[in-house]
Amino acid sequence: MKPLKHQPSHRRTPVSSAAPDFTYLSPHGLDSGIRRNDEILLAFEDVAFRYPDGNTGLDGCSLSIVRGSRNALIGANGAGKTTLFQHANGLLRPQKGGIRYAGRAIDYSRAGLRHLRSEVGLVFQNPDQQLFSASVREDVSFGPLNLGLDTETVRQRVTAALQAVGMEKFADRPVHNLSFGQKKRVCIAGVLAMQPQLLILDEPMAGLDHAMRAELLAVLDELHARGITLLLATHDIDFAYRWADRIHLMSSGRCTSAFAAAELPDNAETLSAAGLPVPGVVELHRLLVTRQILPAISSPRSLAELIAQLNNTQKDFQ
Amino acid sequence: MLIEQCAYGNRWRKVAPAAKGLFCLGGFIAAFAASQPAAAAAVAGLVVLITVLGAGVPFPRFVRVALPPLGFLLLGCLSLAYSLDFQGASNDFTVLWLPSGWAPIRQLAARSGAALAALLFLALTTPMIDLIALLRRLKMPEVLLEIMVLCYRMLFVFSEALHDTRTAQAARLGYATPRLALRSLGSLTANLTLQIWQRAHSLHIAAQSRNNDGAFRFLEPEYAHVRRDLTIAALGGALLIGLAVGMP
Ligand SMILES: Nc1ncnc2c1ncn2[C@@H]1O[C@H](COP(=O)(O)OP(=O)(O)O)[C@@H](O)[C@H]1O
Ligand SMILES: [Mg+2]
Repeated sequence: MKPLKHQPSHRRTPVSSAAPDFTYLSPHGLDSGIRRNDEILLAFEDVAFRYPDGNTGLDGCSLSIVRGSRNALIGANGAGKTTLFQHANGLLRPQKGGIRYAGRAIDYSRAGLRHLRSEVGLVFQNPDQQLFSASVREDVSFGPLNLGLDTETVRQRVTAALQAVGMEKFADRPVHNLSFGQKKRVCIAGVLAMQPQLLILDEPMAGLDHAMRAELLAVLDELHARGITLLLATHDIDFAYRWADRIHLMSSGRCTSAFAAAELPDNAETLSAAGLPVPGVVELHRLLVTRQILPAISSPRSLAELIAQLNNTQKDFQ
Repeated sequence: MLIEQCAYGNRWRKVAPAAKGLFCLGGFIAAFAASQPAAAAAVAGLVVLITVLGAGVPFPRFVRVALPPLGFLLLGCLSLAYSLDFQGASNDFTVLWLPSGWAPIRQLAARSGAALAALLFLALTTPMIDLIALLRRLKMPEVLLEIMVLCYRMLFVFSEALHDTRTAQAARLGYATPRLALRSLGSLTANLTLQIWQRAHSLHIAAQSRNNDGAFRFLEPEYAHVRRDLTIAALGGALLIGLAVGMP
């Protein structure tokens, strides 16, 4: 992996950006969804998996993740999101079909899995499932130590990872004294310390209040700016539309469709077929366009953007 | 949880755990080396004083933590004070009061008190995570340490799960009558057993996803003045032992 300096992102970076240790940036600069390179980092090809008790986990799922992009995976409970993620990390092995990482079929040997898991980081939905050391620093050090790195490197990585999620002050705290949102961030740090290329988060927003969501989002933006590819599961279509470059829909083990988030307004039927509503901002914008209050040029991705557009139009009128 | 709060909130949090462990060890040796009960009592008093004044553990809190073990100590003394005397083949026996006088009881109480004070000093000034790290450095077998780490962490996860399930049951009147309470307790146990099993499994998966291949390795914390702390602790421990042995 060539270490390459990344252009500073225009996105807000509230978390300290002094991170000397994250020099493993993707060579593909990528901002606000404009792809300069469409290298597929992770590809599922018709993957099927059935749990031992007969439950269908995945049922012919195909999906691809472009390097450096932000991806939202939307699906109802039981759609197979967690199962899909565990496949991406090599925890589960497809019974049919195949998975490619960086163009190569996953190698399920010991060494192969080791490599895969250092490249693909998985943050579990329930932080208590993932955190099992007593102190924050110890827990974050767990992954890099498993990679066989020396103590000094691990120490640096732990500090950098805790900084990246804004938890450096809590390094010597016991895990059980943290709030839910803080535990989540420690989980992310624990995976970041392994310096993955692809970070997968299973329903990261679940159970977080508004402020904690905003904090987590800031962390994710920061990671994206550093070139890390992001894939997260969510139920929230409004959030997915606002945040993601690409949206993947899933239902009953199938990856039913995928489209660029910017093209979501044209995919209203796909959404409703999956039982999902069109984001409120899209409907509102459509209405404003039909009423000729707004020009039909660019679709806003969030209410804030829509309001900004409205304000600008007001100025034009005056 | 009280111990936890003290361990994280005391003035000597940043002192090297090795030093605190050394001092505790000094207290232990002093407790057993004490020639007279008065000497052991003096050691106990001194260690308590150091814990309260030096490390800044509030005295009422210290007493609350010390009460349960003191209760056990009392029980132990009582069992020494009485003794049953069976006489021959007949079935009657007599209860003897103080068969061997006060001396062994005083000895036991004072020594145990001193040892308890030393142990509480360590427990109240050093968080569990530091103790585990210390034991690791002392080359305690990895397996035992892993079990300790997991137990310690699971303690909190399960007390939470237990609390949640109990509350949910109580909210639906699960503990309204003794009969219902017994029933609820049963299903609580069953539920927790299942949860433990599931947790263990998901923990294993999570560890695997972070490339774990069996052994648990963690980073050890660093302390600023290990040498200095150790010297002071060694001096303190020696003082205690000297006091215990030297007192007439
Ligand atoms: N460990 C398991 N054993 C058996 N069936 C499972 C297991 N985990 C998930 N499933 C089943 O697989 C399907 C997909 O589950 P999951 O991947 O957890 O969905 P999601 O994460 O989207 O909610 C569900 O029908 C679920 O019941
Ligand atoms: Mg899930």
